[in-house]
Amino acid sequence: MSKADDFAQAGKTAVLQNIHGTVEFLQKFPPFNQMDMAHLAYLVENCQLRFYGEGETIIKPTDGPVEHFFIVKQGRVHGERPHSARRGTETTFEITTGECFPLAALIGERATRTEHLAAEDTFCLLLPRAIFIKLFAQSNALRDFALRGVSSLLDQVNQQVQLRAVETLGAQYSLDTRLRDLAMRQPISCAPGTPLREAVKLMHEQHVGSVVIVDAGRKPLGIFTLRDLRRAVADGSAMDQPIDSLMTQSPFHLAPDASAFDAAIAMTERHIAHVCLVENEQLCGVVSERDLFSLQRVDLVHLARTIRHAGRVETLAALRGDVRQLVDSMLAHGASSTQITQLITLLNDHTVCRVIELTLEDLGDPGVPFTWLVFGSEGRSEQTLHTDQDNGILFEAANAAEAAAIRGRLLPLAQEINRRLATCDFTLCKGNIMAGNPELCLSRQEWAQRFNSFVQQATPENLLASSIYFDLRAVWGETQGCEQLRIGLLQQVSGNSLFQRMLAENALRQRPPVGMFRDFVVARKGAEKDTLDLKVQGLTPFVDGARLLALAHGIGACNTLERLRALVQQGVIEALDGAAYEEAYHYIQQARMQQHQLQARSAQPYSNRVDPDNLNHLDRRILRESFRQAQRLQSSLATRYQL
Amino acid sequence: MSTFTWFSGRSPALTEQQIERRQQLAETSTLDERPLQQQRFVVLDLETTGLNMRRDQVLSIGAVVIDNGAIDLGQLFECTLQRDGHQASASTLIHGIAPSEIAKGEEPAEALLAFMEFVGDSPLLAFHAEFDQRMLARALKQSLGYRLQHGFFDVAEIAPLLCPKASPNLHGLDGWTQHFGLQVLQRHHASADALVTAELALILFSKARQQGIDSLPALQQQLNSRRRQRAHSI
Repeated sequence: MSKADDFAQAGKTAVLQNIHGTVEFLQKFPPFNQMDMAHLAYLVENCQLRFYGEGETIIKPTDGPVEHFFIVKQGRVHGERPHSARRGTETTFEITTGECFPLAALIGERATRTEHLAAEDTFCLLLPRAIFIKLFAQSNALRDFALRGVSSLLDQVNQQVQLRAVETLGAQYSLDTRLRDLAMRQPISCAPGTPLREAVKLMHEQHVGSVVIVDAGRKPLGIFTLRDLRRAVADGSAMDQPIDSLMTQSPFHLAPDASAFDAAIAMTERHIAHVCLVENEQLCGVVSERDLFSLQRVDLVHLARTIRHAGRVETLAALRGDVRQLVDSMLAHGASSTQITQLITLLNDHTVCRVIELTLEDLGDPGVPFTWLVFGSEGRSEQTLHTDQDNGILFEAANAAEAAAIRGRLLPLAQEINRRLATCDFTLCKGNIMAGNPELCLSRQEWAQRFNSFVQQATPENLLASSIYFDLRAVWGETQGCEQLRIGLLQQVSGNSLFQRMLAENALRQRPPVGMFRDFVVARKGAEKDTLDLKVQGLTPFVDGARLLALAHGIGACNTLERLRALVQQGVIEALDGAAYEEAYHYIQQARMQQHQLQARSAQPYSNRVDPDNLNHLDRRILRESFRQAQRLQSSLATRYQL
Repeated sequence: MSTFTWFSGRSPALTEQQIERRQQLAETSTLDERPLQQQRFVVLDLETTGLNMRRDQVLSIGAVVIDNGAIDLGQLFECTLQRDGHQASASTLIHGIAPSEIAKGEEPAEALLAFMEFVGDSPLLAFHAEFDQRMLARALKQSLGYRLQHGFFDVAEIAPLLCPKASPNLHGLDGWTQHFGLQVLQRHHASADALVTAELALILFSKARQQGIDSLPALQQQLNSRRRQRAHSI
């Protein structure tokens, strides 16, 4: 045996001992616990161990492209970046033992955007970039983690997760399928002057339910469907009549890159069965309800239509089970929380409308036009399956006496609607925020007065009320009155800085449960011991913050994500911050829905409380960072309103 | 096939090759003026047959390198020395190296040559360095006929110097390890002890820099003046 071998051998024993210990340490944390032993040993063998005293900078933006992959062996690291609203810096995230950084910069081959500081005495393992890249290419576990763990890549990863769900379940179930892929065959079209007989012959030969009428440049002018044919036959139209006199003009169209979900929503909203695909003003495909129908077991379009045409409230109540099933299968197939809240809102709206129509049929039309308003989460289009009634009625009246008279006629109807909605799973509101309450069945002037009083007299009750009523939306009836009311409200609020300040104080009441030293701050005692509330502690800070900023800046949207986007557009919040808030909100909402789904499956009552210890390490971490975003939004409010 | 060259008297028996390697060993230089963060150190831990510095023998050597302020996990040294007739003794219970493992170990001259080649001219660090220094020096003399002249720095002495606020009751590697919340992978295993001593050294170097003691000569000076003070107070 040569001396060199001896030396190598001697070294190897020691390497094995200390490397083994470090490997064991890393195996407690993702993604290392999922990595091959050989990959992990290779990683550790190539690591350096470095110490950073409290407050010492580990990496900063001016260091240039990141050279190392850092794993915290012991201690805490804070990400600091310049404060968006004031001088100094703010902590944007915290990294603790077993966690690693800076993934986005490392993968993006750029400098970090955030200064990383040792929040306490900290040891880090440093892996040179070249070795990281090599492992990244070889280890699936590391790659998945690196891509998933990076906040800015979260969206892409969500897509990957959905794609994976599709892979296992078969592509026919995905609502994310591009319409381009769905509309495989060439669209059937004809010229405007084509006689009816010719057009129907074409449809018959091609086995399609529609023909698109295009001009010489293939621009769609109209669509003729079997439904139109039925009408033409009933009307006794001549078979040689030109098709453009019988077609539906300016057909609804989407870009071929839109998703199956977009088409399903459009069909549900517009009561149409065909969507043209148009690119560069040229017809390039048609997607029919039948194409979408094959996508899902429980069909959204079909379900919406069934709800819309239900003949009895009992039928509507029974259909709620189908809604739950649809949401369930969508969640299982990787639909996002935004898609799902959008869908639930849509189906709930249909149910509400149908209940109102059926009640009108049964009790008789009161002879006064009225608008059915919804508030709170329903007003923000953010409903989950677990939902209360928050509604009211708006009508037009010339004076107080007339208003009282109309109210008298509408109230029995409203009370019956409330009662029937309750049978359809819309739980009666404990606070009696329902249209059947005489205080919530008001003329437009009365509503405006009521809203003004909320703004002028900022008592705790009024502040609470404003957080419910100011998220309002018309679901049934004329929408104009509701919009006028909203315009007045925005004027009131934007001119009243005292009220804004009170709203800001209110928005800071619910603190996100992130502690300085531990992961989460959970309830200490009682039945809720060791749990935190995803809705009140996680979502409410975003909802309250977005409402305040939107009202203060004249933004009429009610949906939290739409409000955030509008605020970014107006330059009220920075695009980066807006994206981070949106992502965090989205994640917490998703976690909440998955929780509801689990509870429904195991026949437990709905609850928004979650025990962070029951989450896997990665989900805990993403949840913690999401809460930290809520904290950042609050601290920006505190600065803005000098609280 | 190796040719043996016999020396008279108590000098050890070494092969020509081994003598050549001994002569190649690096000369030690004077204390380097560069900042602590830019130097190479070898952090050492010995497991021995006992605590008697005249009679007991080195059983294993564990060492870790601090280079440019970082511990390189790919650059570690550990070696168990072959000791004929070694009996299980009280310290077997501490270091946990079974007599069978020692019988299997490296021939001492080979092991010590390999170690000194690994050390090069770097200064050495250890916890209670005096013990390691004397044990190593005696082993080198006996097995290689080599006189150890490397600078030794004692982490047990540097720690209270740089952490004056730490409790005076802090004792031993375990005490300081707990004080800084360090985790030892396997205590009383030479290389694991060397690693935790090296981690301790990294913390202390960071403190030294904060206190403006950022080179070996400066550190040496502080240690000397502390020794004088303590001698005075006694």
